[in-house]
Amino acid sequence: MGDGIVNGAAAGFSPFLLGWIVLLPLIGFLVNGAVAIAARRYKPVPLAAASEEEDVAHRHEEHPATPEPIPATPPAWTKSLPTFVAPGVIALAFAIALVNFFRMLGAGDALPVIERYWSWMPVGDLQVDVAFQLDQLSMLMTLIITGVGALIHVFSVGYMKKDEGYARYFAYLNLFVFFMLILVLGSSFPLMFVGWEGVGLCSYLLIGFWFREKANADAGKKAFIVNRIGDFGFLIAMFLIFAHLGTLNFVEVFAAAPEQLAFGGAVVTAICLFLFLGATGKSAQIPLFVWLPDAMAGPTPVSALIHAATMVTAGVYLIVRSSVLFAMAPSASLVVGLIGALTAIFAATIALKQWDIKKVLAYSTVSQLGFMFAAVGIGAYVAGVFHLMTHAFFKALLFLGAGAVIHAMHSALHATHSPRDAQDMRNMGGMRRWMPWTFGTMGVATLAIAGIPPFSGFFSKDEILGYAWSGARGELPISQGSLFGVGGEVWMLLIGVLLAAAALLTAFYMGRMMLYTFFGPNRTGEAESPHLHEVGASMKWPLVVLGVLSLIGGLFQVEADVPIVNWFAAVAIGGPDALYNFLAPVTAPAAAVMAQNIPAATVATHPAWPVLLAIVIGAGGLLLAWYLLKPAALGVEGEEPDYRRAWERILHDKWYVDEAYDRGVVRPVVALSGFFARVLDRRLIDGTVDWMGRAAQSVGMVGARVQSGHVNTYAFVLVVGAVLALFWFSGGFAWLAAS
Amino acid sequence: MLTDILFFFFAGIAIFCGIMVVTRRNPVASALWLIGTFFALAAIYTLIGAFFIGVIQILVYAGAIMVLFLFVIMLLNLGNDYQPDLRSRAWMITAGGSGLVLLAILGRVFAADTTAPLGRLTGPEAVATQVAEYGAVGAIARPMYTDYMIVLQVTGLLLLVAVVGAVMLAKRRV
Amino acid sequence: MELDFQTSVDYFWALLPEIVLSLWAMGVLLADVFQKGSRSEASRPAIAWLALAGIAAAAVANVWLMTVTGTGGMIAVDGFRIFANFILLLAAALAILVSMGYLDRHAMNRGEFYVLLMFAVVGMMILASAQDLILLFVGLELMSVAIYVLVGFNRRDPRSGEAALKYFLLGAFASAFLLYGIALVFGATGTTDLALLAETIGTGVQDAPLLLMMGVGLLAVGFAFKVAAMPFHVWTPDAYDGAPTPITALMATGVKAAAFAALLRVFAVSFGGLHETWVVAFWWLAALTMIGANLVALTQGSVKRMLAYSSIAHAGYVLVAVVAANAVGAAAFLFYLLVYTLMTAGAFGIVIANARGDRERVSLEDYAGLGWQQPVMAAAFAIFLLSLAGFPLTGGFIGKLYILRAALAADQVPLAVILVMASLISYFYYLRVVIVMYMRPAPAADTHAGLTASRPLQVAVGVAAIGVILLFFAPAMVLDAAQGSVAGLFIAQEALFGLSRGP
Repeated sequence: MGDGIVNGAAAGFSPFLLGWIVLLPLIGFLVNGAVAIAARRYKPVPLAAASEEEDVAHRHEEHPATPEPIPATPPAWTKSLPTFVAPGVIALAFAIALVNFFRMLGAGDALPVIERYWSWMPVGDLQVDVAFQLDQLSMLMTLIITGVGALIHVFSVGYMKKDEGYARYFAYLNLFVFFMLILVLGSSFPLMFVGWEGVGLCSYLLIGFWFREKANADAGKKAFIVNRIGDFGFLIAMFLIFAHLGTLNFVEVFAAAPEQLAFGGAVVTAICLFLFLGATGKSAQIPLFVWLPDAMAGPTPVSALIHAATMVTAGVYLIVRSSVLFAMAPSASLVVGLIGALTAIFAATIALKQWDIKKVLAYSTVSQLGFMFAAVGIGAYVAGVFHLMTHAFFKALLFLGAGAVIHAMHSALHATHSPRDAQDMRNMGGMRRWMPWTFGTMGVATLAIAGIPPFSGFFSKDEILGYAWSGARGELPISQGSLFGVGGEVWMLLIGVLLAAAALLTAFYMGRMMLYTFFGPNRTGEAESPHLHEVGASMKWPLVVLGVLSLIGGLFQVEADVPIVNWFAAVAIGGPDALYNFLAPVTAPAAAVMAQNIPAATVATHPAWPVLLAIVIGAGGLLLAWYLLKPAALGVEGEEPDYRRAWERILHDKWYVDEAYDRGVVRPVVALSGFFARVLDRRLIDGTVDWMGRAAQSVGMVGARVQSGHVNTYAFVLVVGAVLALFWFSGGFAWLAAS
Repeated sequence: MLTDILFFFFAGIAIFCGIMVVTRRNPVASALWLIGTFFALAAIYTLIGAFFIGVIQILVYAGAIMVLFLFVIMLLNLGNDYQPDLRSRAWMITAGGSGLVLLAILGRVFAADTTAPLGRLTGPEAVATQVAEYGAVGAIARPMYTDYMIVLQVTGLLLLVAVVGAVMLAKRRV
Repeated sequence: MELDFQTSVDYFWALLPEIVLSLWAMGVLLADVFQKGSRSEASRPAIAWLALAGIAAAAVANVWLMTVTGTGGMIAVDGFRIFANFILLLAAALAILVSMGYLDRHAMNRGEFYVLLMFAVVGMMILASAQDLILLFVGLELMSVAIYVLVGFNRRDPRSGEAALKYFLLGAFASAFLLYGIALVFGATGTTDLALLAETIGTGVQDAPLLLMMGVGLLAVGFAFKVAAMPFHVWTPDAYDGAPTPITALMATGVKAAAFAALLRVFAVSFGGLHETWVVAFWWLAALTMIGANLVALTQGSVKRMLAYSSIAHAGYVLVAVVAANAVGAAAFLFYLLVYTLMTAGAFGIVIANARGDRERVSLEDYAGLGWQQPVMAAAFAIFLLSLAGFPLTGGFIGKLYILRAALAADQVPLAVILVMASLISYFYYLRVVIVMYMRPAPAADTHAGLTASRPLQVAVGVAAIGVILLFFAPAMVLDAAQGSVAGLFIAQEALFGLSRGP
């Protein structure tokens, strides 16, 4: 597509079908959307309608010729076509991305490559093109999105098999991947914003996919409103950037910013804070995290793809992409780190007391995103991206595993028409007997997220904690910054402590989830439990692949100079510090900015004890869960445990954040709009209408038409308006002002 | 001088008749007062030398259109029990205020120096030269069929639309 | 071709689209009469298609007009006119397409409907391209008279007749303002030619006679009425509500666009020298319209009436571009009118489709559950509503962005802020419809079964929806065309008066 113009003297690297990576999911969307529309024709007519004779007659009148009777069940192709097209296009995109990846490895640092397609918004000095930027960061994100995306598509084939909106579901899912790729590949802030809005749109569509419940509808609404607040921040940041730098293309902005903006100045700090506001909306950080747990109302593979692996990490991507700007604003960076750490611990505490298996994972996601933000906030950009990657593996796996469990629970409960909740852990227990594969792979993911070596989460989480510790000793450039007059190293110490505590809680609640789900006696019910079963092949193999990735994913970035970690240097994929070296061209400008403006940042040293502490925390959390919690003593759903202790109730009720928003924001707004409606409706509109009604009644029938109050009032308003206008044009207002 | 006096005389009549039109309760009375306004206007046209327009004013407006008006009013047999348009105190105050403001603006327009138009010549002198050269009818007809031919054509379309529309709206069976 | 307007033949060429359309309309009128004879029955579908072909023929003539240049005539031959003509013809084509099923359902399928519609478009095109105030006025009346009749075309519905009468009375009233304004301007300057006016007025802001200012003020009032800016909008809700919905669509798009085109031509070009005076008046009109219309729209329970107020609010947004009165603003103005035409016509198309027989279902409750029972229709409606709100991924967003750019380029910061705030308010009532469609269950499983969306209507809505999306992803081509169209309009003005200054 388009005529690609390759920027710069790319040393032997020309992107391979770059546009097709984005175009393929769009084609998938169009094909599946067409199938979805075609399949709708076959919807069985409700019996209630057919029985009403009058209604049928009416319909015949409107459709005089109904050529052939429409069969009630759609033909097989409406399911088989999406089955192949939807995962196929994503897999193909992944293959193209892989080709590009290997070409890029051979090309060295001659990047970014920018492929320009057409001029998008040419207004005066604002020139924005539709162009894709391929560099190491967008390459990595593309691989994650298409790779994990393809696996989740395959999983969905089994998961959504019986849903009547099968094609529609895949159409939305493909559209999501399309926009997500635009988000990461776009070469300018506005194009990124297109993807940003697009993924949000798909998110609402998919949350509302199982629509008939009010809860889903409300979830979609909440997600929409919260994201508008985030978008507002993003837009303001864009306006500020354009106003001060005159461009919105990434390459130009990041080249111009260090020269034209003052280091640590108000402008760059404001830009960063507004960008971060946008990021908190999309990535569910304090204070805008409330939508993500509710968004779990959508199908579980959607939660895996959108609300765990890809879309919610867009905020992290945004900050790493703008690392030059954040490096110039140390106090804004500290805000990012602090909010991230607070979110991490805050969400982890809530996860401790949730019973819905997806809610646990949702708060876990919020918490892990907090880790990523803490990392990029303290300037450890590679560590943040690294955790983003490993998290995409193990959290997608956890969600898909939970989806498999829910699938099994659902069919078991469905078999006996039991009204109980298929997602409540109190109805599970002992599931490992029926679902060994799911249990095994989820076990790997749990060890990974808890940070047990050699699983992937250990490496990424340890790197973040290690950086926080270095920062606390003043060894990072951001340590030299300050916030509210307090030095950076103090804040970093706080961040480190918070993250360590969050890591402990993470291990604990994950252990709790595994215990209650897979261990102990089964609580599903006598009649139901025989119906529990392991998932089919299309759902099993994605779990296995993600399990392998969760196991080895950490080996992409083995820090060579950190004790204990470097024991794994021999098996590191691509050599030690592979990811760090790979991403170096992306993070180098930020590092240069900091090196230039912050004198003598000492080289970070790496003692062994933080690593040991991290391992102890992870293992300790799991062991605590093992010894403290007694799955055998757990009652079934509905027997609400008596929360005698206040903190248990607070955690169970999620710190009452929703209630606080309701009291503090929603109710005042509702009251205000009610007030406006009263004033406008009753006083202005109703009052006029009532008055006109009276006037019209007192005059005769003909008079009501010709000389009803309406036309007179209207003409009168016209005249008054005209007099005001003439008064202005005659200089009357100026005369009034002068006298 | 005499022209000025005559102008203010007829202008006064026009305004007086206008006020009577909008204040009469009986539509027939309103229509008859309107004829007075038309005659006064025709006189003013004649005063500035636009004889043809003045004649047309009487023929078309006072003659044809007014007869039509009266026919319609009588056909519909409207009573004269209408409420006054200004029904409440707030309305009257606003209306009175608007009137005063308009009057003040008018005063300013008259007080300002408006003798010399910005560009090409207008006013009685211009009309006089035209009339002297082409005659009273020619002064209208020439530009109408030359410079403003397009406008005339479009007016033709406008009349066609009006006829079609009137038939559509008035036809008993649609 | 180069025209110097020394002979009438030049006018023939310059007015070719209008002439083609007028003759075609007369042909349709005759064809309808001959086909029916003395019988009183519904016209054949071929009449509608014939009318559509006439619009297409006029569009072809308009394309040909691109090769023509000429100055000094009573009619402008410039890019601005051609671009505006395309918008007007598009609005007319969409209106004809959505009319086809509608007229049959309401038992008002008469060939005259299409004939009057075509004549109304001729009036609009003349209005948008007149270089002389008298021609402008006649074009305006041609358009208005045809629309008055069309508003009252549904003789069975008393609301239609009532709307027509109100619109007619108030429209005549506003025409009087306009005409009086033209007279005063002529009295002060001795000319009605727009180019001569610009020359005569020059830069003379300080010594402009009061007579002229009164004329300008009355013209402003007349135009404000036609574009339905507050407080001159009072006729709009009733007229839009009572009119047959395809005519509502045409009024909200074509009539408004034509009046805006004339407004921009008269004020930004001819009265460019008086910019500092009129810009303040329009500033207030724009601010009042944006705030007021959006607030009142919040309280509407009928979707059709809500769209009426939405169309008033959009007049406010376009007025911001007029206030900016620079080349960016004029380009944004044309671009916005195009997007606005597509999204508004599309939205009204959905309102037409959501009907059963001759019963239109316009209350908010009638849309409950539409999203699940008629997903394609609801998705299209959601696209139009989001675009009207200015949501990214739709052309409405780009349009608002350009208007904002123009306002900021002209240092109209407060107005830009009002625009953003007003848009935020508008999200509430647009989204309310979307939410009702998708998040409130329908009263019955077959509430929305068998809605009567005719094939032509589907085409119109589809074209509009695709256009709205395309104008987001590839607006550059249209924008380039818009910028090219206004290039000639402003060069002289900017050099002379520095129009990009704020007040």
